[in-house]
Amino acid sequence: MPLLEIKNAKLKLDNKDILKGLSLSVNEGEVHAIMGPNGSGKSTLSYMLAGRDGYELESGEVFLEGQSLSEMEADERARSGLFLAFQYPVELPGVGGMSFLREAVNSRRKFIGEEELDHLAFVKEVRKVASKMFVKDEMLKRAVNVGFSGGEKKRFEILQMAMLKPTVSILDETDSGLDVDALKIVSEGVNSQRNEDNAIVVITHYQRLLDYIVPDFVHILSDGRIIKSGGPELALEVEKNGYAGLINAA
Amino acid sequence: MLHNVKDNYITSVKNHVSHFEEKSFRKLASNDFKSWPSPREETWRLSRLGILSRKELTPIIPNFKKKFTSSSQFNGSKIIRFVDGALRADLSSKLPPGTSLDTLDEEDSLKCFNKFKDSNLKNHPSINVSFSCTPSIVKLTIDKGLNIRDLFEIIYEGGDDNLSVHPALYIELKENSSITIIERFNHLSSLIMPLQLVELKKNASMNSLKIFNDNQQSYNLSANCAFLSDKSNYNSFSLIKGGLFTRSETHAYLKGENCNLNLNGVYLSSKNQHHDLTTAIYHDVPNCTSKQIVRGVLGGKSTGVFQGKVRVAPDAQKTDGQQMSRAILLSENAIANAKPELEIYADDVICAHGATVGEIDNEQIFYLKSRGISEKKAKQIIITAFLKDIINESVEEAMQNFVFEEAELALSEIISKEI
Ligand SMILES: Nc1ncnc2c1ncn2[C@@H]1O[C@H](COP(=O)(O)OP(=O)(O)OP(=O)(O)O)[C@@H](O)[C@H]1O
Ligand SMILES: [Mg+2]
Repeated sequence: MPLLEIKNAKLKLDNKDILKGLSLSVNEGEVHAIMGPNGSGKSTLSYMLAGRDGYELESGEVFLEGQSLSEMEADERARSGLFLAFQYPVELPGVGGMSFLREAVNSRRKFIGEEELDHLAFVKEVRKVASKMFVKDEMLKRAVNVGFSGGEKKRFEILQMAMLKPTVSILDETDSGLDVDALKIVSEGVNSQRNEDNAIVVITHYQRLLDYIVPDFVHILSDGRIIKSGGPELALEVEKNGYAGLINAA
Repeated sequence: MLHNVKDNYITSVKNHVSHFEEKSFRKLASNDFKSWPSPREETWRLSRLGILSRKELTPIIPNFKKKFTSSSQFNGSKIIRFVDGALRADLSSKLPPGTSLDTLDEEDSLKCFNKFKDSNLKNHPSINVSFSCTPSIVKLTIDKGLNIRDLFEIIYEGGDDNLSVHPALYIELKENSSITIIERFNHLSSLIMPLQLVELKKNASMNSLKIFNDNQQSYNLSANCAFLSDKSNYNSFSLIKGGLFTRSETHAYLKGENCNLNLNGVYLSSKNQHHDLTTAIYHDVPNCTSKQIVRGVLGGKSTGVFQGKVRVAPDAQKTDGQQMSRAILLSENAIANAKPELEIYADDVICAHGATVGEIDNEQIFYLKSRGISEKKAKQIIITAFLKDIINESVEEAMQNFVFEEAELALSEIISKEI
């Protein structure tokens, strides 16, 4: 059974067809990359998976570890092991990073029947993970994403991923806005979480990220459909020739 | 018929004046009390007092034997108690040297009355009624150069059904002095009309914290006037959570250069409460700053009003005036009104304002939910942060927890019904 299975997903936004019959199957231990032109529906796909209001499917289905997501709210999906790293992380004025993380982690732990972490144990765990990601203590004391630089926001997303230990992670353009060093740090953060029991879907515009996070499969999303799938070499082809040829051939 | 009842209170206010020996200012004041403000008056349009004219009301005769019920909330604070609107020296602390608490004589009371009458608050009903009926005008004076370390805690309580109470306090900070004062309004009365005059002399600095928590049937029409001289600093924060109808109106006059004003407030409204923060800031001279942050959270069928006038006189160049108000509605039946009013007659100024009224931001809720946090918890986190933010910005550190806990009590009342 795939960890994530999307079957013929169709979705409208504001009466406009955005996803037009998208199917994708992601198995344990796999990393998939999704590439596609601006406006092709990549973020829409990620919001649909995460369960954002207004992004309900018109038809088709999505399964997480065999369980249909259609009746599940965003928070339930997250507790069940789905994670979305936002393309544009949301600022939460006044909400401290540390207490936010703790609330999130304990919600998930409670759901999967693990003991909630007390304050001390939690802080210790966060510090350990944060230092690997070069996220400074000072950043955790600030309000979530408020005044963070683009790169800091992305690093904080991956820190959340590391703390939540999801089964399926969707990373929506986590590489955009990162400088070369940060790209390496974030990629290492992601790679260190790859294992035989989880799966990762990276959405990106740039082949370069895929040098660091090497995918098993690459898919090209265009106009709400996956028009081509292949191995890492497909990303190189996009890098060299752009999308036009691929779209015309499809 | 309705008219008769209304006239009753006006008559009883006038009659009440005969209880006192010192009458000059009381007569002037009572003569000026002719009616309640009409909703046609712009600043009373959103906060209507019509219902007061249908209530059976008489000014209270203070009971000087009454015991107090609100205990102090701060270790070692200097307590000043008003019961039934009257100063109770017997229930108050001994004040530190250099500070004094006096009741004004006839001449000084008249002067104080005229200061209000010269301000743009002159038609506020509390001014006429409370100057007519207050047991006495109490003056707190802080001597030159004195930095008061002790927290001053002023507790107002007492009153009863169908009675109106009239505490009047005049605070003067002499040059280079400073103090922090918390005032807690815990009346049981039908109508509460507190008056406050604040005068900050050169380089004086005052932190003022007001918590309005009168009982759930009461009307509180608090009228406050502040005059700031050169380099003075007035940092005021009001938390409105009690009463059926609470309106705190403050007019601040920046009279000397390089003074600084913060006039912040929060209202937390549930059921059928009506809360109103009305302010006017007058920049009359150059080089002053004023900053105003107002936040409201509303549930039930409550209404919130923020009216914020900022006037920058032609001479008041280099004024920096900021005003931000935001209200979050947690119920479809709650209403929030924000009425910023900027009158800027100088050209070299920085003035910004913004007012928003709306629900909790959906993006924020989604972000929290996408991390496994339930919708209910997500809303709670966002609103709590919304309040913590302004409290931490407005209130000095030692008091932040107290104010936050006071806010949280009202907040949980709202939240338990709405989310
Ligand atoms: N609320 C909405 N109503 C109508 N159309 C929308 C709405 N939100 C997004 N769209 C449209 O849906 C399409 C897909 O947008 P989406 O954000 O998913 O693209 P994307 O592939 O993530 O693009 P990018 O590479 O720029 O991030 C775009 O044409 C966008 O304008
Ligand atoms: Mg996108």
